[in-house]
Amino acid sequence: MLKLFEHNTLHVNSIDEANTAIDVQGLNLWFGNKHVLNDISLKIAKNQITALIGQSGCGKSTLINSFNRLNDLHNSCKYTGKVVINGKDINHKKVNVSRLRSKVGMVFQRPNPFPMSIYDNVCYGLRLQGVKARRQLDDAVESALKEAALWDEVKDRLFESAGILSGGQQQRLVIARALALKPEILLLDEPTSALDPLTTLFIEELMGELKKRCTIVIVTHNMQQAARVSDFTAFFHQGSLIEYADSDTLFTMPEKNKPKITLPVVMVN
Amino acid sequence: MNNTLRELLNPVQRQSLVISLTAFLTSLLLIVLLSLLTLITVRGGAYFWPTPIYKVSYIDNQANDHMVLAQVTLVDEESATTQLKVATLETPYGSELVVEDTKIKRMELSLDSAAISLIDGRMILARPLYLSSSDKDILPFYSFEAMLAEVELINDEIESIRSNQLASIHEQLAVFDIKGVEADAPAREKLISAFTHAQQEVERLESQRQAYQLRVGFADGRALSVNLSSVDNLYFVSDLSFIETWGVVLSRVRTFLTESPKQANTAGGVFPALFGTILMVFMMTIIVTPFGVLAAIYLSEYAPDNLFTSIIRISVSNMAGVPSIVYGVFGLGFFVYTVGGNIDALFFSDTLPAPTMGAPGVFWAALTMAILTLPVVIVATEEGLRRVPEGLKQGSYALGATKLETIMKTILPIASPGIMTGVILAIARAAGEVAPLMLVGAVKFAPNLPIDSEFPFLHLDRQFMHLGVLIYDGAFHSQTNIKSASMMFASCLLLLGVVFVLNLLAVWLRTRLRKRYLQY
Repeated sequence: MLKLFEHNTLHVNSIDEANTAIDVQGLNLWFGNKHVLNDISLKIAKNQITALIGQSGCGKSTLINSFNRLNDLHNSCKYTGKVVINGKDINHKKVNVSRLRSKVGMVFQRPNPFPMSIYDNVCYGLRLQGVKARRQLDDAVESALKEAALWDEVKDRLFESAGILSGGQQQRLVIARALALKPEILLLDEPTSALDPLTTLFIEELMGELKKRCTIVIVTHNMQQAARVSDFTAFFHQGSLIEYADSDTLFTMPEKNKPKITLPVVMVN
Repeated sequence: MNNTLRELLNPVQRQSLVISLTAFLTSLLLIVLLSLLTLITVRGGAYFWPTPIYKVSYIDNQANDHMVLAQVTLVDEESATTQLKVATLETPYGSELVVEDTKIKRMELSLDSAAISLIDGRMILARPLYLSSSDKDILPFYSFEAMLAEVELINDEIESIRSNQLASIHEQLAVFDIKGVEADAPAREKLISAFTHAQQEVERLESQRQAYQLRVGFADGRALSVNLSSVDNLYFVSDLSFIETWGVVLSRVRTFLTESPKQANTAGGVFPALFGTILMVFMMTIIVTPFGVLAAIYLSEYAPDNLFTSIIRISVSNMAGVPSIVYGVFGLGFFVYTVGGNIDALFFSDTLPAPTMGAPGVFWAALTMAILTLPVVIVATEEGLRRVPEGLKQGSYALGATKLETIMKTILPIASPGIMTGVILAIARAAGEVAPLMLVGAVKFAPNLPIDSEFPFLHLDRQFMHLGVLIYDGAFHSQTNIKSASMMFASCLLLLGVVFVLNLLAVWLRTRLRKRYLQY
């Protein structure tokens, strides 16, 4: 009985070097004068799903944006501290941001397929990397769409506009688009908040499949979702990491008091 | 005032008052627009529509009887007068005459009278009587077509002698003259005799052509001979069936679109002006599109969000409001005199003081119009760029695209309807602009098109004709000449048509592009 639990309860503090996908060390981040992230340190485990939860504006989206340096798009953004991926600090000047972003895929809250064909959408990243060979692209499109469980639905209309797909299909297309680059880490920023419950369930199942081949970090407002899909959960409040533990522990016996106070509030969402 | 209104009317009435007021003003606007379109269509269409010829007998102020052939140009109900275009032996090409209705004794359609258009653009209203030629002296009128064809044959013959023999002999002679070698004298003599021979042949043909005459009579019985070689076409305008009428209209429209203006822009066609307008607009589009789009991309994607950028934005919007003549003066002072003058000094110094690029020309006009329309393109493009959803840009960045790649692959395609709108607006504006063009290259009459078969084919330094300038010119003539006024209206109609077609094209392109990016 006890062994059964032990199998699942990998403790956050015991994540070793080899199993760390992202190592955040003392990350502070400001937008202008606003201190958005306050001394965040956490290790995200490889091939696991880590959920980031907390109120709106608590900095969780900013945190995952700093995993692929998407915060760079804002001129007023400043940061200190390290984000280590594959043993390298990605905030270092010499890091090739394009390559980083192709290895750290991201899916956004609203499905954002490009206004081109389904095929071209999936190829977008590969073409940016200079892949031109038709066969290579065809293979990549097929395998990415299969991984995103979209292949059967769209295989006959690959060259039609992505706009004709439904919301859930579009979101899976966006996931396939990221997967085509064979990312090591997949960042999901509230991927299901614009979708209906059934599609949400579908995407959650997909995440369970995907974690076999890449690390997943998901930001969510939905507590049940975090509890359902994630292996680890980090709880944020006003830019600080309040608690980080494996999901079973965090949702059943939180260490600190704050989650107890705020969780029900958030759960209304 | 406000209070009394409130007391007088209940809320429902107040609302209907507002609705009826706004609807009234809107309908007023519609009426103005419709009357503009109607006026231009009717007056412009009149240029092509064959007007029937009447036989009019009237009494003039000295109580003399007159019998004339005339077209009615205007009927004034109020002052009970009729304006006629009267043709007599003294004025075969028609003169304007205003007659009081009471003084007109009789007015009947003259079915056997024709409007005879001459090659030089003038028109005779007269009754064709018979034809005469050198060999068979008098021929009935029904052989008109055959005779015209014969004249055409002689014309071709003369033309072929001129271009094949005379021109080549002339060139060879010029070579001898430059060499100036004594030994060539016999060959030169031979050439000269060949030249004289060919010239005599031409003269013989010309006199033969001269013999083909069309005899026409006027209402009072007097007659006039017209050289058949100077006749372009002939229509019995009073006796046309419906289909024939449209045939005449079509042939006149074709003339209007394909021929050069004649008789100081009062007759003939507007082809050089149409061509010049299209060429200038085309060159302007090529210049303004990259400039405008790149500037807009910089402003919207790269420029830091600070005071300086705001100042640039405000200046760009204000540039759209600068009076166009100011651009014309700028183009003349900067492009023509400064830039063009310097180009002349550097590259064409051997032809100075005659200017090459330092004079108004089609390129400077296009460049000036490009600057004039630049704000339109920048503002519309920026609007289009701003409409690209932030999520798409982020999606592109998240896939490892650099800023440039994101702009090229994602932002520009989505913004393309906006860019297209801006470019088409710029084209419509440039097509209708007159004032700056008159300073930098558009003229009332240009002998040559800016494009021809001579190297370098596109002559950027040449002056060109422009529809707007033609209309402007026609408007000044119209105070003295009704005919030129209707040519002006016809040009207006054409300009409207051109702008309408351009806008239609814009709408079509925009909807096509929008459809492609439907979900945004």
